[in-house]
Amino acid sequence: MDRNLKARLEARLNGYLRVPIYQRQDQTEIRVDPGNVPDVLRIVHDAVDLRFEILADLAGVDTGEVMQVVYHLWSPMSSDWLRIIADGISREDPRAPSATFLWQGAEWLEREAYDMFGIIFEGNRDLRRIFMPPDYTSFPLRKDFLLPDDAARSPGAGVRHVERTHLPADLADNLDAAVRRAPAS
Amino acid sequence: MPTRKSAPDPSSEGGRTPCGEPHPGEPSPAEPQQFGSAHDVSSASFASTDDPRIMLDREVGGLFDPIPPYPPQTERESEFYTLGDGEMFLNLGPHHPATHGVLRLVLKLSGEQIVDVDPVLGYLHRGVEKICENSDYYHVIDQVDPLEYISSLFQEWAAVLSFEKLMDVDVPPRAEYIRVLSGELLRIASHTLFQGFLALDLGGLAPILYSFIERDEIVEMLAALTGARMLFNYFRIGGVNGDLNHEFMSRLGDWMSRAASQTEANAALLNENEIFVRRTRGVGVLDRATALRFGVTGGNLRASGVPFDVRRAHPYSVYPDLEFNVPTREEGDSLARYLIRVDEVRESIRIIDQCLHNMPDGPIMAKLPRLLRPRPGRAWGAVEGPRGMLGVYAISDGSDQPFRFRIHDPSFVNLATVPTLLPGNLLADTMAIIASLDPVMGGIDK
Amino acid sequence: MAQLRRLTGESLAFVRGIPRGAWQRTTIQDRLLILVVFALGGAVTTVLGLAIFGPPIVGFLGANIPLVRFFVAVTVILLITVPTAFVIIYLELKVIARMNLRIGPNRVGPWGTAMSVIHGLKVLAKEDFAPTGADITVFTLAPVVTYLASAMTLLVIPFAPGLFGQDFNIGLLFLFSMGGLTVLGLLMAGWSSFNKYSLLGGLRSAAQIISYEIPLTLSVVGVILLAGTMSLNHIVAAQSGSALDWFAFKQPLALLIFFIAATAEANRTPFDMTEADSEIVAGFATEYSGMRFGFFFFAEYVNVFIVSALATTIFFGGWTAPFDWPWPTTLNFFNPFALGFFGWAGIVLAVAFFGTQFLALLVRLFGGREWTWGNSTGLGFLLLFVVAAALAGLAGFIAFEPIRGLTWFMAKTYFFVFVFIWMRATLPRVRVDQLMGFAWKWLLPASLLNLFLTATAVVIVHG
Repeated sequence: MDRNLKARLEARLNGYLRVPIYQRQDQTEIRVDPGNVPDVLRIVHDAVDLRFEILADLAGVDTGEVMQVVYHLWSPMSSDWLRIIADGISREDPRAPSATFLWQGAEWLEREAYDMFGIIFEGNRDLRRIFMPPDYTSFPLRKDFLLPDDAARSPGAGVRHVERTHLPADLADNLDAAVRRAPAS
Repeated sequence: MPTRKSAPDPSSEGGRTPCGEPHPGEPSPAEPQQFGSAHDVSSASFASTDDPRIMLDREVGGLFDPIPPYPPQTERESEFYTLGDGEMFLNLGPHHPATHGVLRLVLKLSGEQIVDVDPVLGYLHRGVEKICENSDYYHVIDQVDPLEYISSLFQEWAAVLSFEKLMDVDVPPRAEYIRVLSGELLRIASHTLFQGFLALDLGGLAPILYSFIERDEIVEMLAALTGARMLFNYFRIGGVNGDLNHEFMSRLGDWMSRAASQTEANAALLNENEIFVRRTRGVGVLDRATALRFGVTGGNLRASGVPFDVRRAHPYSVYPDLEFNVPTREEGDSLARYLIRVDEVRESIRIIDQCLHNMPDGPIMAKLPRLLRPRPGRAWGAVEGPRGMLGVYAISDGSDQPFRFRIHDPSFVNLATVPTLLPGNLLADTMAIIASLDPVMGGIDK
Repeated sequence: MAQLRRLTGESLAFVRGIPRGAWQRTTIQDRLLILVVFALGGAVTTVLGLAIFGPPIVGFLGANIPLVRFFVAVTVILLITVPTAFVIIYLELKVIARMNLRIGPNRVGPWGTAMSVIHGLKVLAKEDFAPTGADITVFTLAPVVTYLASAMTLLVIPFAPGLFGQDFNIGLLFLFSMGGLTVLGLLMAGWSSFNKYSLLGGLRSAAQIISYEIPLTLSVVGVILLAGTMSLNHIVAAQSGSALDWFAFKQPLALLIFFIAATAEANRTPFDMTEADSEIVAGFATEYSGMRFGFFFFAEYVNVFIVSALATTIFFGGWTAPFDWPWPTTLNFFNPFALGFFGWAGIVLAVAFFGTQFLALLVRLFGGREWTWGNSTGLGFLLLFVVAAALAGLAGFIAFEPIRGLTWFMAKTYFFVFVFIWMRATLPRVRVDQLMGFAWKWLLPASLLNLFLTATAVVIVHG
């Protein structure tokens, strides 16, 4: 646990933090609003006493209520991993700013997060599916995407079909039209 | 929310593009007409003949071009799939002899020179993160094994490390030493195989077979230790599955007695080969700033002059007690990436030697309950694999299954540099560059 | 069979007067009768034809011995390409395997020697497939062109004194022009396959072979100046004597250039750009299967043989021995007809019996306890044949100059074949721009320099 890092972060990121800095083992965690992510990333990357210049990971998280984008950063100035959680992204229309302005490598990581969660990273020039086929409509890592054999997590519902578990908002209204295509006559 | 579809959907109204509505921040999708221009350009040069073969080309030519059968979804995609003057597409993969599995590269060529490249992934995707979220903590370990199938112990290690952080488990020192020992052995196997594959992709037949001899010996001794040759399923939360045994130790002793000299001999096979050096020196130069911008890790980053090695930068296990160097090079080209691996093999032999000397006695497993229900929390564990930093971000919600299990694979970010490294090089250099990045498609596609 | 019968019936139906299906209605006796009639008719026709046209044909052939020789030579050369390719393919499999610490083929035939025959059968049995969009005519002709261009080069190579297809006075020119034809076949294959990998391979081969043709030809000009002829027979004759008379020692630079350029010309590693499997899958041959691919495959290995044979002929004295032959070269110390039939029969039987027993004794002595009387006698009998064949070969080697020459020629040639295989097992592939740069920046100036030096030396010595 790097207490010194906590003090430096508090000094630099005053006003951006949603909740107090949380430290556990070798990880320091801050939570920010998704809109502030570019500023925060810029500060921790550029500040001479922070210099978090390696983007270790960028992950999407679906908590069931909100979406998160989680950044893990590494700096030679600290013995801790820095975890930045962009919290409170709407599940219905998940949008977050892209980190590609700092780390070009985030492009593919964001494509993966988009592919798996449907989070739209604004500013990513090539945001399309990366693993799933381009005509796929669901987002597999969302919590309402249930595996067919996952009876444990579907309360009382038993087995539900994979493809129908998550439906985009505009399709949910006319479900039948979307699922049942026009007869091939 | 906007949806993306390939086929025109009967449910969408008439005037809308199938791409969905453009939203702010994301560039609006290009017109479908512009997309079709790729065909038009390629067949325009044949316009004024009526040779039946050329007619055929006009009819079926589109089938042979690797253009996706749906409108472009992003500006980048429509820019890529529009051919300039004298350019052509070449579909490299997914079943090409030199793409290390099922990587598919759509190359835009001008003659033999690469203008642009669009990697297409996902041929091995099986949604392992979702599978892990639906398995309990013990079963995650054998689910992540096939990801980095060349060096699967490291993927297990990352998962186990993050779980141990989640549950505050203290691993006995003997278990840690055994982990380091087996991990470094596997690192040597992986790096040796890398040398062979790099040479094979450059047309050299012999080194791959010499590499496989080394790898086979290591894999056989690990089979004596763990019971499996490739997908070990050996590390456990809080320790390892089995203690060192006689067969493993005797095989290891035999191998260690000649490991250093054999490594030098295998390296000399390529280091002193003028053709090999000329094929790799100055090819695919990844400079320091670009490497950092791409989040490249592992030997590829150290070849660009950044001494980032998780074993030293953020020590885990017993690496702080061990003595080894982190080799770096400044050139950042394919040759430097190759030489870094050779140096790392030497360092790994040193580490194994120290492990054998310092191996403590004691238990190999921590005391843990049969059913693991860690308290709600988050943990990020990262280890240094042969290809770079292997990270796992695990979230627990208090149940016996991880709530979120995020796998960060180094091959994935390393491969993301390909669209930057390839343009301007010749087709033949594609192999030198991709092989020197050492991707494993199992890990990339998850 | 059913198809054949149907075909026969239909074709007979075209003949006026024979009802449709007449052959099917005949009985066995009828068929036999028809066959006998046809056979007798054929025999009578043949005899009459020979009686009438025979003498003129024999006379014509007798008057045109070179023509006969040419046709025989062409036939023989087309026939020997197959075993040559088989032997080199087997050697390549086995030698590369040993160099890679593998065993190599060891299942088909003794030590896997029938492996390449099985390869050939496999290729024959495969589907003859042409991809959609391919230009079928060119696609079919391409392997033929490549194969014939390779095979025809064998025509002028002197295997032994008196053992050559044709002795052109422009032998070397013929060789290089035929070698240049290979590129035409590769380019045709690359273009007609309707595949981008094939096209890249074809264009690469065109660029490569045209570039390396120049230093290859120029490097030999020095030898032509020294020998004063372009006939390969005369070039070999100019090197007769000992190994010191070989052009390899008079033209070392030319040998080096020739060897490098010939490697590129034969598309061998490290210059196998045209079929770089890790880059362009299989190059021009990507879309080929079955025997069409087989022709390319044969042509490649025949090319290796030709290039080795050329290096031997031009620089290493061809069929001449590397030292002055000190022993008597005839076996005339007794008259073989003096013994008569019974004398020979007695000798043969005696040698067979005692030789077998002697070899069987050796087998039992060195083979150990498990060799029973019967087993060792059988093995001894087999060994006797081996010994007899070796002795006969040795006698032929000593007594007949063509056999001696052929032995030396093949020994030298297969040494170079081994070197080519060795290079393939060891070296990585160069890049295509490095390849071209090397030809134009290094090999061409070096060959010009060599030519200049040789010409100067010739002028100084002779003039």
